[in-house]
Amino acid sequence: MNAPAVDLAVALGPLRLANPILTASGTFGYGLEFAHLADLAALGGIVSKGLSVAPIRGNPPPRVCETRGGMLNSIGLQNIGIERFLAEVLPGLERFPPRVIVNLFGVSVDEYVRLAERVDAVSGVAALELNVSCPNVHSGGLEFGQDPEVLCALVRAVRAATGKPIVVKLSPNVTRPAEIGEAAKVGGADILSAINTLLGMAIDPVTRRPRLATVKGGLSGPAIKPVALRVVFDVARQVGLPVIGIGGIETVDDVLEFLLAGASAVQVGTALFRDPTTASRLVGELAARLAADGVGSVRELVGAVRLPA
Amino acid sequence: MLPSDHAAVVERVVEHPLPYFSLLLDAPPGWAELAAGQFVMVRAGDGLAPFLRRAFSVHDASSSPAGARIELLIKAVGPGTRALAGARPGDRLSVLGPLGHGFSLPAEGPVALVAGGIGSAPLYLLGRRLVERGVRFDLFYGGRGRADLPCLERFAALARRSGGRLVATTEDGSAGERGLVTGPFERSLAAGEFRFFYACGPMGLLARLAALSAAHGVAGEAALETAMGCGFGACLGCAVPRPDGRFALCCQDGPVFPFSEVAW
Repeated sequence: MNAPAVDLAVALGPLRLANPILTASGTFGYGLEFAHLADLAALGGIVSKGLSVAPIRGNPPPRVCETRGGMLNSIGLQNIGIERFLAEVLPGLERFPPRVIVNLFGVSVDEYVRLAERVDAVSGVAALELNVSCPNVHSGGLEFGQDPEVLCALVRAVRAATGKPIVVKLSPNVTRPAEIGEAAKVGGADILSAINTLLGMAIDPVTRRPRLATVKGGLSGPAIKPVALRVVFDVARQVGLPVIGIGGIETVDDVLEFLLAGASAVQVGTALFRDPTTASRLVGELAARLAADGVGSVRELVGAVRLPA
Repeated sequence: MLPSDHAAVVERVVEHPLPYFSLLLDAPPGWAELAAGQFVMVRAGDGLAPFLRRAFSVHDASSSPAGARIELLIKAVGPGTRALAGARPGDRLSVLGPLGHGFSLPAEGPVALVAGGIGSAPLYLLGRRLVERGVRFDLFYGGRGRADLPCLERFAALARRSGGRLVATTEDGSAGERGLVTGPFERSLAAGEFRFFYACGPMGLLARLAALSAAHGVAGEAALETAMGCGFGACLGCAVPRPDGRFALCCQDGPVFPFSEVAW
Protein backbone atom coordinates (compact mmCIF):
# COMPACT_ATOMS: atom_id res chain seq x y z
CA MET A 1 0.00 0.00 0.00
CA ASN A 2 1.37 3.38 -0.95
CA ALA A 3 1.44 6.14 1.62
CA PRO A 4 -0.94 8.99 0.73
CA ALA A 5 0.89 11.70 -1.20
CA VAL A 6 1.77 14.66 0.96
CA ASP A 7 2.66 18.00 -0.59
CA LEU A 8 5.68 19.43 1.18
CA ALA A 9 6.39 22.23 -1.33
CA VAL A 10 6.36 25.76 0.02
CA ALA A 11 6.63 29.19 -1.57
CA LEU A 12 8.05 32.03 0.48
CA GLY A 13 7.24 35.00 -1.70
CA PRO A 14 9.45 34.48 -4.75
CA LEU A 15 11.44 31.62 -3.16
CA ARG A 16 10.09 28.17 -3.95
CA LEU A 17 11.35 25.16 -2.00
CA ALA A 18 10.66 21.45 -2.48
CA ASN A 19 10.08 21.17 1.27
CA PRO A 20 10.24 23.46 4.29
CA ILE A 21 13.37 22.01 5.96
CA LEU A 22 16.60 24.02 5.61
CA THR A 23 19.85 24.06 7.50
CA ALA A 24 20.79 27.15 9.49
CA SER A 25 23.76 29.36 8.79
CA GLY A 26 26.84 28.55 10.85
CA THR A 27 25.67 25.07 11.78
CA PHE A 28 26.14 23.33 8.44
CA GLY A 29 29.61 24.57 7.58
CA TYR A 30 29.61 25.34 3.90
CA GLY A 31 27.40 22.31 3.30
CA LEU A 32 29.88 19.86 1.89
CA GLU A 33 31.14 18.88 5.37
CA PHE A 34 27.88 16.93 5.62
CA ALA A 35 27.90 15.34 2.17
CA HIS A 36 29.02 11.93 3.49
CA LEU A 37 27.14 12.13 6.81
CA ALA A 38 23.63 13.11 5.75
CA ASP A 39 21.33 12.97 2.73
CA LEU A 40 21.88 16.47 1.37
CA ALA A 41 19.53 15.79 -1.53
CA ALA A 42 16.54 15.50 0.80
CA LEU A 43 16.80 19.07 2.11
CA GLY A 44 14.64 21.96 1.00
CA GLY A 45 17.55 24.34 1.24
CA ILE A 46 21.02 24.94 2.61
CA VAL A 47 22.02 28.26 4.16
CA SER A 48 25.75 28.92 3.96
CA LYS A 49 28.05 29.94 6.75
CA GLY A 50 28.03 33.75 7.01
CA LEU A 51 30.15 35.21 4.21
CA SER A 52 31.94 38.55 4.06
CA VAL A 53 33.79 40.51 1.38
CA ALA A 54 37.19 39.38 2.71
CA PRO A 55 38.07 36.26 4.73
CA ILE A 56 37.84 36.64 8.53
CA ARG A 57 40.04 34.67 10.92
CA GLY A 58 37.60 34.66 13.82
CA ASN A 59 37.85 34.88 17.61
CA PRO A 60 40.44 33.30 19.89
CA PRO A 61 39.48 30.07 21.72
CA PRO A 62 37.56 28.94 23.63
CA ARG A 63 34.80 29.72 21.14
CA VAL A 64 32.13 27.24 22.20
CA CYS A 65 30.79 25.80 25.41
CA GLU A 66 27.93 23.51 26.19
CA THR A 67 25.06 24.80 28.30
CA ARG A 68 21.96 23.04 29.58
CA GLY A 69 19.94 22.25 26.47
CA GLY A 70 22.22 24.07 24.09
CA MET A 71 25.50 25.81 23.58
CA LEU A 72 27.15 29.21 23.49
CA ASN A 73 29.31 30.22 20.57
CA SER A 74 31.54 33.10 19.77
CA ILE A 75 33.12 32.07 16.49
CA GLY A 76 33.73 35.65 15.43
CA LEU A 77 32.27 35.24 11.92
CA GLN A 78 35.27 33.23 10.72
CA ASN A 79 34.78 32.52 7.02
CA ILE A 80 36.63 32.01 3.77
CA GLY A 81 35.17 35.10 2.06
CA ILE A 82 32.63 35.33 -0.74
CA GLU A 83 35.09 34.74 -3.61
CA ARG A 84 36.45 31.45 -2.31
CA PHE A 85 32.94 30.30 -1.48
CA LEU A 86 31.72 30.97 -5.01
CA ALA A 87 34.81 29.43 -6.61
CA GLU A 88 35.44 26.41 -4.39
CA VAL A 89 32.25 25.50 -2.50
CA LEU A 90 29.23 26.49 -4.57
CA PRO A 91 30.10 24.24 -7.54
CA GLY A 92 30.10 21.26 -5.16
CA LEU A 93 26.74 22.23 -3.66
CA GLU A 94 25.15 22.74 -7.06
CA ARG A 95 25.35 18.99 -7.63
CA PHE A 96 22.57 18.62 -5.03
CA PRO A 97 18.91 19.54 -5.47
CA PRO A 98 18.46 21.83 -2.41
CA ARG A 99 18.37 25.55 -3.04
CA VAL A 100 21.46 27.37 -1.77
CA ILE A 101 20.89 30.54 0.24
CA VAL A 102 24.00 32.60 0.95
CA ASN A 103 24.19 34.22 4.36
CA LEU A 104 25.92 37.60 4.05
CA PHE A 105 27.21 40.18 6.49
CA GLY A 106 29.34 43.30 6.51
CA VAL A 107 30.43 46.13 8.73
CA SER A 108 29.02 48.82 6.45
CA VAL A 109 26.11 49.22 4.04
CA ASP A 110 28.66 49.35 1.25
CA GLU A 111 29.98 45.86 2.12
CA TYR A 112 26.49 44.34 2.08
CA VAL A 113 25.85 46.01 -1.29
CA ARG A 114 29.09 44.70 -2.74
CA LEU A 115 28.20 41.16 -1.61
CA ALA A 116 24.70 41.42 -3.05
CA GLU A 117 26.03 42.71 -6.37
CA ARG A 118 28.57 39.89 -6.43
CA VAL A 119 26.00 37.10 -6.07
CA ASP A 120 23.21 38.74 -8.09
CA ALA A 121 24.17 37.04 -11.34
CA VAL A 122 25.29 33.74 -9.79
CA SER A 123 22.73 31.16 -10.90
CA GLY A 124 23.48 28.71 -8.08
CA VAL A 125 22.40 31.23 -5.45
CA ALA A 126 18.64 31.04 -4.80
CA ALA A 127 18.39 33.83 -2.25
CA LEU A 128 20.37 36.06 0.11
CA GLU A 129 19.98 35.91 3.88
CA LEU A 130 21.28 39.04 5.57
CA ASN A 131 22.86 38.58 8.99
CA VAL A 132 22.12 41.97 10.54
CA SER A 133 23.39 41.10 14.01
CA CYS A 134 26.76 42.67 13.18
CA PRO A 135 28.18 45.91 14.51
CA ASN A 136 27.96 48.81 12.04
CA VAL A 137 31.29 50.64 12.07
CA HIS A 138 29.54 53.81 10.91
CA SER A 139 27.14 53.96 13.84
CA GLY A 140 29.45 53.36 16.78
CA GLY A 141 29.26 49.58 16.63
CA LEU A 142 25.48 49.39 17.08
CA GLU A 143 24.14 46.34 15.24
CA PHE A 144 22.24 47.01 12.00
CA GLY A 145 19.39 44.91 13.29
CA GLN A 146 18.94 46.95 16.46
CA ASP A 147 17.62 50.14 14.84
CA PRO A 148 14.61 50.13 12.48
CA GLU A 149 15.79 53.13 10.45
CA VAL A 150 19.33 51.83 10.00
CA LEU A 151 18.02 48.40 9.02
CA CYS A 152 15.48 49.82 6.58
CA ALA A 153 18.22 51.81 4.83
CA LEU A 154 20.46 48.73 4.68
CA VAL A 155 17.77 46.52 3.14
CA ARG A 156 16.81 49.28 0.69
CA ALA A 157 20.42 49.51 -0.51
CA VAL A 158 20.70 45.72 -0.88
CA ARG A 159 17.32 45.65 -2.67
CA ALA A 160 18.70 48.06 -5.25
CA ALA A 161 21.70 45.77 -5.79
CA THR A 162 19.94 42.47 -6.45
CA GLY A 163 16.81 41.00 -7.95
CA LYS A 164 17.19 37.80 -5.91
CA PRO A 165 14.93 37.13 -2.92
CA ILE A 166 16.17 38.84 0.25
CA VAL A 167 15.79 37.17 3.63
CA VAL A 168 16.50 39.31 6.71
CA LYS A 169 17.51 37.29 9.77
CA LEU A 170 16.10 38.91 12.90
CA SER A 171 17.84 39.11 16.25
CA PRO A 172 15.90 38.22 19.39
CA ASN A 173 18.04 40.68 21.34
CA VAL A 174 15.65 43.61 20.82
CA THR A 175 12.50 44.64 22.66
CA ARG A 176 10.16 44.31 19.65
CA PRO A 177 11.52 42.07 16.85
CA ALA A 178 8.35 42.65 14.80
CA GLU A 179 9.19 46.36 14.61
CA ILE A 180 12.56 45.47 13.08
CA GLY A 181 10.83 43.02 10.74
CA GLU A 182 8.44 45.75 9.63
CA ALA A 183 11.43 48.01 8.85
CA ALA A 184 12.96 45.20 6.76
CA LYS A 185 9.69 44.86 4.87
CA VAL A 186 9.56 48.60 4.15
CA GLY A 187 13.16 48.37 2.89
CA GLY A 188 12.18 45.68 0.41
CA ALA A 189 12.80 42.34 2.15
CA ASP A 190 10.89 39.36 0.76
CA ILE A 191 11.23 36.99 3.71
CA LEU A 192 12.16 37.17 7.40
CA SER A 193 14.03 34.49 9.30
CA ALA A 194 13.91 34.33 13.08
CA ILE A 195 15.73 33.97 15.36
CA ASN A 196 19.45 34.48 15.46
CA THR A 197 21.19 33.46 18.72
CA LEU A 198 20.33 34.95 22.09
CA LEU A 199 23.17 36.80 23.77
CA GLY A 200 24.35 34.82 26.78
CA MET A 201 27.30 33.87 28.97
CA ALA A 202 28.63 31.11 31.18
CA ILE A 203 31.22 31.08 33.98
CA ASP A 204 33.37 28.24 35.29
CA PRO A 205 32.76 28.43 39.06
CA VAL A 206 36.05 26.66 39.83
CA THR A 207 38.38 28.92 37.85
CA ARG A 208 35.98 31.90 38.10
CA ARG A 209 36.66 32.59 34.44
CA PRO A 210 34.10 33.06 31.64
CA ARG A 211 33.84 29.93 29.55
CA LEU A 212 34.20 31.90 26.30
CA ALA A 213 37.26 33.97 25.45
CA THR A 214 34.98 36.84 24.40
CA VAL A 215 33.06 36.50 27.71
CA LYS A 216 29.65 36.62 25.99
CA GLY A 217 28.35 34.64 23.04
CA GLY A 218 25.27 33.44 21.20
CA LEU A 219 23.01 30.85 22.80
CA SER A 220 21.42 28.24 20.55
CA GLY A 221 19.80 24.83 20.87
CA PRO A 222 16.58 23.51 22.41
CA ALA A 223 16.94 25.97 25.30
CA ILE A 224 15.92 28.89 23.05
CA LYS A 225 12.95 27.28 21.30
CA PRO A 226 10.14 28.94 23.29
CA VAL A 227 11.69 32.37 22.70
CA ALA A 228 12.06 31.65 18.98
CA LEU A 229 8.48 30.45 18.73
CA ARG A 230 7.18 33.62 20.36
CA VAL A 231 9.19 35.82 18.00
CA VAL A 232 8.03 33.87 14.93
CA PHE A 233 4.42 34.12 16.13
CA ASP A 234 4.65 37.91 16.63
CA VAL A 235 6.56 38.60 13.41
CA ALA A 236 4.35 36.42 11.22
CA ARG A 237 1.16 38.04 12.47
CA GLN A 238 2.37 41.63 12.62
CA VAL A 239 4.59 41.99 9.54
CA GLY A 240 2.88 39.92 6.91
CA LEU A 241 6.01 38.57 5.19
CA PRO A 242 6.74 34.85 4.95
CA VAL A 243 8.82 33.70 7.93
CA ILE A 244 11.47 31.01 8.29
CA GLY A 245 11.51 29.75 11.89
CA ILE A 246 14.85 29.02 13.58
CA GLY A 247 15.69 28.08 17.16
CA GLY A 248 16.13 24.75 18.88
CA ILE A 249 14.44 22.60 16.24
CA GLU A 250 15.27 18.92 16.67
CA THR A 251 12.05 16.89 16.31
CA VAL A 252 9.08 16.79 13.97
CA ASP A 253 6.95 18.20 16.79
CA ASP A 254 9.30 21.20 16.88
CA VAL A 255 8.77 21.69 13.13
CA LEU A 256 4.99 21.50 13.54
CA GLU A 257 5.07 24.07 16.34
CA PHE A 258 6.94 26.58 14.20
CA LEU A 259 4.61 26.02 11.25
CA LEU A 260 1.56 26.49 13.46
CA ALA A 261 3.07 29.67 14.92
CA GLY A 262 3.30 31.12 11.42
CA ALA A 263 6.55 29.94 9.88
CA SER A 264 6.38 28.78 6.24
CA ALA A 265 9.68 26.93 6.57
CA VAL A 266 12.27 26.18 9.25
CA GLN A 267 16.02 26.01 9.62
CA VAL A 268 17.62 23.28 11.70
CA GLY A 269 20.81 24.37 13.43
CA THR A 270 22.58 23.26 16.58
CA ALA A 271 20.86 19.85 16.57
CA LEU A 272 23.01 19.00 13.53
CA PHE A 273 26.07 18.93 15.79
CA ARG A 274 24.82 16.00 17.80
CA ASP A 275 23.10 14.33 14.87
CA PRO A 276 24.20 15.46 11.39
CA THR A 277 21.21 13.68 9.85
CA THR A 278 18.63 15.69 11.82
CA ALA A 279 17.52 18.00 9.00
CA SER A 280 17.35 15.43 6.21
CA ARG A 281 15.63 12.96 8.55
CA LEU A 282 12.99 15.54 9.50
CA VAL A 283 11.91 15.85 5.85
CA GLY A 284 10.80 12.24 5.80
CA GLU A 285 9.38 12.38 9.31
CA LEU A 286 7.34 15.46 8.45
CA ALA A 287 5.86 13.78 5.38
CA ALA A 288 5.00 10.68 7.42
CA ARG A 289 3.44 12.74 10.17
CA LEU A 290 1.27 14.76 7.81
CA ALA A 291 0.16 11.59 6.05
CA ALA A 292 -0.73 9.99 9.37
CA ASP A 293 -2.68 13.09 10.40
CA GLY A 294 -4.50 13.34 7.07
CA VAL A 295 -2.94 16.70 6.22
CA GLY A 296 -2.56 16.97 2.44
CA SER A 297 -0.24 19.96 2.27
CA VAL A 298 2.25 21.38 4.72
CA ARG A 299 0.92 24.82 3.76
CA GLU A 300 -2.32 24.06 5.60
CA LEU A 301 -0.46 24.24 8.88
CA VAL A 302 1.20 27.63 8.46
CA GLY A 303 -0.20 29.97 11.11
CA ALA A 304 -2.91 27.46 12.01
CA VAL A 305 -2.40 27.70 15.76
CA ARG A 306 -5.75 27.59 17.55
CA LEU A 307 -5.77 30.59 19.84
CA PRO A 308 -8.12 31.01 22.77
CA ALA A 309 -11.23 32.88 21.79
CA MET B 1 38.36 6.59 5.30
CA LEU B 2 35.30 8.86 5.34
CA PRO B 3 33.66 9.29 8.74
CA SER B 4 30.32 7.65 9.40
CA ASP B 5 27.88 7.60 12.29
CA HIS B 6 27.98 4.09 13.68
CA ALA B 7 25.50 2.62 16.19
CA ALA B 8 28.19 0.86 18.17
CA VAL B 9 27.42 -2.00 20.52
CA VAL B 10 29.13 -1.74 23.89
CA GLU B 11 31.03 -5.00 24.23
CA ARG B 12 32.65 -4.34 27.59
CA VAL B 13 33.16 -1.60 30.17
CA VAL B 14 36.43 -1.92 32.12
CA GLU B 15 37.02 0.12 35.26
CA HIS B 16 40.71 0.91 35.81
CA PRO B 17 39.47 1.86 38.56
CA LEU B 18 37.10 4.82 38.28
CA PRO B 19 37.17 7.65 37.42
CA TYR B 20 39.18 6.00 34.61
CA PHE B 21 37.43 3.41 32.48
CA SER B 22 37.54 1.85 29.04
CA LEU B 23 34.67 1.37 26.64
CA LEU B 24 35.14 -1.48 24.16
CA LEU B 25 32.90 -0.93 21.17
CA ASP B 26 32.26 -2.79 17.96
CA ALA B 27 33.16 -0.82 14.84
CA PRO B 28 32.99 -1.10 11.04
CA PRO B 29 35.73 -3.32 9.52
CA GLY B 30 38.01 -0.55 8.25
CA TRP B 31 38.38 0.96 11.71
CA ALA B 32 41.03 -1.56 12.68
CA GLU B 33 43.42 0.38 10.46
CA LEU B 34 42.68 3.90 11.69
CA ALA B 35 45.61 6.15 12.51
CA ALA B 36 46.74 6.66 16.10
CA GLY B 37 45.56 10.09 17.19
CA GLN B 38 42.30 10.01 15.24
CA PHE B 39 39.18 10.53 17.33
CA VAL B 40 35.47 9.82 17.51
CA MET B 41 32.48 11.89 18.68
CA VAL B 42 30.25 9.88 21.01
CA ARG B 43 26.69 10.77 21.83
CA ALA B 44 26.30 10.37 25.57
CA GLY B 45 22.56 10.96 25.78
CA ASP B 46 19.40 12.21 24.08
CA GLY B 47 18.36 14.74 26.69
CA LEU B 48 19.36 18.31 27.47
CA ALA B 49 22.53 17.50 29.39
CA PRO B 50 24.89 16.36 28.02
CA PHE B 51 23.68 18.08 24.89
CA LEU B 52 26.69 17.83 22.58
CA ARG B 53 28.70 14.77 21.66
CA ARG B 54 31.99 14.15 23.43
CA ALA B 55 35.32 13.77 21.63
CA PHE B 56 37.57 10.82 22.49
CA SER B 57 40.78 9.74 20.86
CA VAL B 58 40.94 6.07 20.01
CA HIS B 59 42.99 4.18 22.63
CA ASP B 60 43.19 0.94 20.68
CA ALA B 61 41.74 -0.53 17.49
CA SER B 62 41.89 -4.08 16.19
CA SER B 63 40.04 -6.40 13.89
CA SER B 64 37.42 -8.73 15.38
CA PRO B 65 35.24 -11.54 14.06
CA ALA B 66 32.44 -8.98 13.53
CA GLY B 67 34.66 -6.40 11.81
CA ALA B 68 36.62 -4.24 14.21
CA ARG B 69 36.76 -3.27 17.84
CA ILE B 70 37.84 0.06 19.29
CA GLU B 71 38.71 0.93 22.86
CA LEU B 72 38.19 4.39 24.32
CA LEU B 73 40.07 5.26 27.53
CA ILE B 74 37.98 7.84 29.37
CA LYS B 75 38.13 9.82 32.63
CA ALA B 76 34.68 10.40 34.13
CA VAL B 77 34.76 14.09 35.01
CA GLY B 78 31.53 15.69 33.77
CA PRO B 79 27.96 14.83 32.83
CA GLY B 80 28.92 13.30 29.47
CA THR B 81 31.73 11.08 30.64
CA ARG B 82 29.85 10.06 33.81
CA ALA B 83 26.88 9.01 31.65
CA LEU B 84 29.21 6.92 29.50
CA ALA B 85 30.73 5.30 32.60
CA GLY B 86 27.25 3.91 33.25
CA ALA B 87 27.08 2.14 29.89
CA ARG B 88 26.39 -1.59 30.02
CA PRO B 89 27.36 -4.39 27.61
CA GLY B 90 24.79 -4.55 24.83
CA ASP B 91 23.96 -0.83 24.96
CA ARG B 92 24.23 1.03 21.68
CA LEU B 93 26.12 4.30 21.40
CA SER B 94 26.17 6.65 18.43
CA VAL B 95 29.85 6.91 17.48
CA LEU B 96 30.82 9.33 14.71
CA GLY B 97 34.24 8.78 13.21
CA PRO B 98 37.02 8.28 12.46
CA LEU B 99 37.78 12.02 12.59
CA GLY B 100 40.85 14.20 12.23
CA HIS B 101 44.44 13.44 11.35
CA GLY B 102 46.58 11.12 13.40
CA PHE B 103 50.27 11.04 14.29
CA SER B 104 52.82 10.71 11.51
CA LEU B 105 54.91 7.56 11.84
CA PRO B 106 58.69 7.81 11.82
CA ALA B 107 60.95 5.94 9.43
CA GLU B 108 63.23 5.04 12.32
CA GLY B 109 63.64 5.42 16.07
CA PRO B 110 64.20 5.68 18.82
CA VAL B 111 61.38 8.06 19.69
CA ALA B 112 59.73 9.18 22.91
CA LEU B 113 56.09 9.27 23.95
CA VAL B 114 55.12 11.77 26.66
CA ALA B 115 51.74 11.46 28.41
CA GLY B 116 50.13 13.61 31.07
CA GLY B 117 47.37 11.72 32.88
CA ILE B 118 44.42 10.82 30.64
CA GLY B 119 46.47 12.27 27.77
CA SER B 120 47.90 8.77 27.54
CA ALA B 121 44.71 7.68 25.74
CA PRO B 122 45.87 7.99 22.09
CA LEU B 123 49.44 6.93 22.84
CA TYR B 124 48.59 3.26 23.32
CA LEU B 125 47.50 2.85 19.69
CA LEU B 126 50.50 4.93 18.65
CA GLY B 127 52.78 2.61 20.63
CA ARG B 128 51.24 -0.42 18.94
CA ARG B 129 51.77 1.14 15.52
CA LEU B 130 55.42 1.79 16.43
CA VAL B 131 55.89 -1.81 17.58
CA GLU B 132 54.39 -2.99 14.27
CA ARG B 133 57.02 -0.91 12.46
CA GLY B 134 59.87 -2.04 14.68
CA VAL B 135 60.45 1.45 16.11
CA ARG B 136 61.78 1.55 19.68
CA PHE B 137 60.19 4.05 22.06
CA ASP B 138 60.45 5.18 25.66
CA LEU B 139 57.20 6.28 27.30
CA PHE B 140 57.27 9.06 29.89
CA TYR B 141 54.03 8.89 31.85
CA GLY B 142 53.23 11.52 34.48
CA GLY B 143 50.31 12.29 36.78
CA ARG B 144 49.42 13.69 40.20
CA GLY B 145 49.51 10.25 41.81
CA ARG B 146 49.54 6.55 40.93
CA ALA B 147 45.75 6.61 40.43
CA ASP B 148 46.21 9.11 37.59
CA LEU B 149 48.33 6.73 35.52
CA PRO B 150 45.61 4.42 34.13
CA CYS B 151 46.74 1.28 32.29
CA LEU B 152 50.30 1.79 33.59
CA GLU B 153 51.28 -1.90 33.40
CA ARG B 154 49.83 -2.23 29.92
CA PHE B 155 51.85 0.77 28.74
CA ALA B 156 55.01 -0.61 30.38
CA ALA B 157 54.58 -3.95 28.61
CA LEU B 158 54.08 -2.21 25.27
CA ALA B 159 57.19 -0.05 25.72
CA ARG B 160 59.21 -3.20 26.56
CA ARG B 161 57.90 -4.91 23.42
CA SER B 162 59.32 -2.04 21.37
CA GLY B 163 62.69 -2.50 23.11
CA GLY B 164 62.21 0.64 25.20
CA ARG B 165 61.10 1.42 28.75
CA LEU B 166 58.42 3.22 30.68
CA VAL B 167 59.39 6.10 32.99
CA ALA B 168 56.63 7.04 35.44
CA THR B 169 56.49 10.25 37.45
CA THR B 170 54.01 11.43 40.08
CA GLU B 171 53.76 14.75 41.83
CA ASP B 172 53.03 13.01 45.16
CA GLY B 173 55.72 10.37 44.73
CA SER B 174 53.24 7.45 44.89
CA ALA B 175 54.76 5.89 41.77
CA GLY B 176 57.98 6.38 39.84
CA GLU B 177 60.07 9.52 40.18
CA ARG B 178 58.59 12.35 42.24
CA GLY B 179 57.97 15.44 40.16
CA LEU B 180 56.78 16.41 36.70
CA VAL B 181 57.09 14.22 33.65
CA THR B 182 59.17 16.91 31.94
CA GLY B 183 62.06 16.24 34.39
CA PRO B 184 63.23 12.80 33.24
CA PHE B 185 62.09 13.49 29.68
CA GLU B 186 64.30 16.55 29.37
CA ARG B 187 67.32 14.66 30.76
CA SER B 188 66.90 12.01 28.07
CA LEU B 189 66.22 14.60 25.40
CA ALA B 190 69.37 16.53 26.35
CA ALA B 191 71.35 13.27 26.17
CA GLY B 192 70.31 12.93 22.52
CA GLU B 193 68.35 9.72 23.04
CA PHE B 194 65.49 10.51 20.64
CA ARG B 195 65.06 11.54 17.03
CA PHE B 196 61.42 12.59 17.45
CA PHE B 197 58.73 12.65 20.13
CA TYR B 198 54.96 12.51 20.55
CA ALA B 199 52.83 13.92 23.35
CA CYS B 200 49.32 14.29 24.68
CA GLY B 201 48.16 15.90 27.91
CA PRO B 202 47.14 19.21 29.45
CA MET B 203 47.88 22.36 27.42
CA GLY B 204 50.38 23.56 30.04
CA LEU B 205 52.41 20.37 29.65
CA LEU B 206 52.28 20.56 25.85
CA ALA B 207 53.46 24.17 25.92
CA ARG B 208 56.46 23.18 28.08
CA LEU B 209 57.22 20.33 25.71
CA ALA B 210 57.05 22.71 22.75
CA ALA B 211 59.70 24.83 24.46
CA LEU B 212 61.86 21.74 25.06
CA SER B 213 61.42 20.71 21.42
CA ALA B 214 62.72 24.08 20.27
CA ALA B 215 65.51 24.26 22.86
CA HIS B 216 66.91 20.82 22.05
CA GLY B 217 66.21 20.83 18.32
CA VAL B 218 64.12 17.65 18.44
CA ALA B 219 60.85 17.90 16.54
CA GLY B 220 57.64 16.35 17.70
CA GLU B 221 53.88 16.21 17.48
CA ALA B 222 51.16 16.81 20.05
CA ALA B 223 47.54 15.66 20.12
CA LEU B 224 45.46 18.60 21.36
CA GLU B 225 42.21 18.68 23.24
CA THR B 226 39.96 21.72 22.78
CA ALA B 227 36.35 22.63 23.37
CA MET B 228 34.56 21.16 20.36
CA GLY B 229 31.02 21.57 19.06
CA CYS B 230 30.68 19.09 16.21
CA GLY B 231 34.01 17.35 15.45
CA PHE B 232 33.70 17.53 11.66
CA GLY B 233 34.41 21.11 10.63
CA ALA B 234 30.92 22.59 10.67
CA CYS B 235 30.85 24.75 13.80
CA LEU B 236 34.37 26.23 13.68
CA GLY B 237 34.40 26.10 17.46
CA CYS B 238 37.71 24.28 18.04
CA ALA B 239 40.14 27.01 17.03
CA VAL B 240 43.86 26.45 17.63
CA PRO B 241 46.06 29.55 17.30
CA ARG B 242 48.84 29.19 14.75
CA PRO B 243 52.17 31.04 14.76
CA ASP B 244 51.05 33.16 11.76
CA GLY B 245 48.11 34.56 13.73
CA ARG B 246 45.48 32.52 11.96
CA PHE B 247 43.46 29.72 13.48
CA ALA B 248 43.53 26.05 12.65
CA LEU B 249 40.62 23.77 13.47
CA CYS B 250 41.51 21.08 16.00
CA CYS B 251 38.97 18.67 14.50
CA GLN B 252 40.02 18.93 10.85
CA ASP B 253 43.61 20.23 10.82
CA GLY B 254 44.43 18.25 13.98
CA PRO B 255 43.96 17.00 16.56
CA VAL B 256 47.64 16.15 16.02
CA PHE B 257 49.86 19.16 15.26
CA PRO B 258 53.62 19.52 14.94
CA PHE B 259 54.84 21.52 17.96
CA SER B 260 56.11 24.19 15.56
CA GLU B 261 52.65 24.81 14.07
CA VAL B 262 50.86 25.95 17.23
CA ALA B 263 51.20 29.33 18.96
CA TRP B 264 51.63 28.00 22.50
